[in-house]
Amino acid sequence: MLTLAIDTSTDNLGLALMESGQLRGEYNLSLKRQHSEKLLPLIEQIFELLGIQPRELNGVAVATGPGSFTGLRIGITTAKLLGRIFSIPVKGISTLEIMAAGIAEPYLLPLIDARRKRVYCSFYQNLRTANDNFLKEIYQPTAISIAELPELLSNYKEKEITLIGEKKKEVRRVLEANAFSTRLAEAESDLPRAAVLARLGENYFKTGQRDDIYQLKPAYLKKPQAEINWQQKYGNN
Amino acid sequence: MGVGKLKFRDKLKDESEDIYILALESSCDETAAAVNKNGLKVLANVVSSQVDLHKKFGGVVPEIASRKHLELLLPVIDQALAEAGIDFEDLDAVASTSGPGLVGGLLVTLTAAKTISLALNIPLIGVNHIAGHIYANFIANPEIKKPLLCLTISGGHTDLLYFEDLRGYKILGRTVDDAAGEAFDKISRFLGLGYPGGPAIEKAARAGNEMAVDFPRADLGDSYNFSFSGLKTAVMNYVNNEEQRGNELKINDLAASFQKAVVDSLTANLLQAVEKYDVESVVLSGGVAANQRLRSYIEEKLEEHNLKLYYPPLELCTDNAAMIGAVAYYQYLERDFAPLSISADPSLKL
Ligand SMILES: [Zn+2]
Repeated sequence: MLTLAIDTSTDNLGLALMESGQLRGEYNLSLKRQHSEKLLPLIEQIFELLGIQPRELNGVAVATGPGSFTGLRIGITTAKLLGRIFSIPVKGISTLEIMAAGIAEPYLLPLIDARRKRVYCSFYQNLRTANDNFLKEIYQPTAISIAELPELLSNYKEKEITLIGEKKKEVRRVLEANAFSTRLAEAESDLPRAAVLARLGENYFKTGQRDDIYQLKPAYLKKPQAEINWQQKYGNN
Repeated sequence: MGVGKLKFRDKLKDESEDIYILALESSCDETAAAVNKNGLKVLANVVSSQVDLHKKFGGVVPEIASRKHLELLLPVIDQALAEAGIDFEDLDAVASTSGPGLVGGLLVTLTAAKTISLALNIPLIGVNHIAGHIYANFIANPEIKKPLLCLTISGGHTDLLYFEDLRGYKILGRTVDDAAGEAFDKISRFLGLGYPGGPAIEKAARAGNEMAVDFPRADLGDSYNFSFSGLKTAVMNYVNNEEQRGNELKINDLAASFQKAVVDSLTANLLQAVEKYDVESVVLSGGVAANQRLRSYIEEKLEEHNLKLYYPPLELCTDNAAMIGAVAYYQYLERDFAPLSISADPSLKL
């Protein structure tokens, strides 16, 4: 079982190949706005270096965001076409889930900068089993202002919350000012790691879970600005 | 580098063999896929328009267009392959528009084409959208004789091209400032005739006298280049002077005189090239080519040279992928392939 993982949701370009539980290769490159130029050449390179043919793939896991809309469309388009051409399963996985799944702590708050003192985040409880971490999603991905986080998390004041990703220090200041207890993820865990995405994808495929490539789309979490402006002016419909 | 080079599945074909190309287009608000056989034979031409989606905003909203392109991508590809009766494995190459256009939209089909190229180990061809509109003529009128001259004029460009055959072209001249369509838009807005300027000016001009005001025609000497900024300034100065003198403006006369100045400039360079190059036909392309005054004037002038003027039928004027596939075929013959690192260029020139 050979799974390709593709993540172009943030500045990190993530690529990994996992073969039946064994990581064959992984790229995590911080490439601002270069996903279009770099993604396909790097996929070709990772295949060539490992001596694998694209047609040997058994599945593609792709990050669905939140993140840069243009970046997400590049990764998801690639996954859709690989799925279509080789008739292999594709699974879209939340970028926030990838970030959380890389850490074995009980309460996890992955964060992606959404600009203007806002973050994209979701909140997970890690229910560990002997074999694997299992993430229970307590709050699904949302865009929220940092100032509103203490209210969102008010039921978890006695727990230690692990902050992951961009803005973790700013979020820590706000939460600790509100008597929360927090810890910061290590630097290498702040990225959505491509190897984690590959492992999650393989697990989904093993249990028969896949997405419909015709329906697969980014987690935009936000309507296009023109739509928002139009609705403010004319109301719904 | 050693890595990053495609090792194509089979040897590349030449003209004596059948060549199937899947072409994709998403530069504006149409998501399109086509299958072309040997360039001008269109086996499938699927266009999914988003026009209705953008209507309420009064123009194409790039982010909304990009989202829709991603949704429509696989359905249009599937339909094109089904209509052509072929499968991915039968393709000799894959092509996508690489510019000009809206970058977010362009990236959808360009990324798809790259993935197809990598997955099937077939060449990737990046096509200029403007060239696509020119080649739409050759699909519609396969009898067009070569060599030929092509005047391609729109809101974004004004180019005079010479084609020895369809494998490539030489740029004889282009605008040194505004594009012809841009000049129409600016003057239309200035005269209060609205947007888009081409049809608005043309309509007003029909009720006007094109000899009323003798606006300047730019003379760039022996070059085939165009210039419209002097004409634009002359119209504005004329209007300001008349208003200061308290004279009533005859908008229709101004529109007609301005239009004639543009038509004359375009035609002058074209005829200069007709004299110099021994061509068999002349082709018009681009949005401004829809202008009836321009067409009839050029047709009239070309009659003296026994040359026929071609322009594409309306249905091939809208964006489609068959025109991209036609260009791609000739690029294939020239082995003009794109690397997987190619990106979309929103302001790509010919
Ligand atoms: Zn067009």
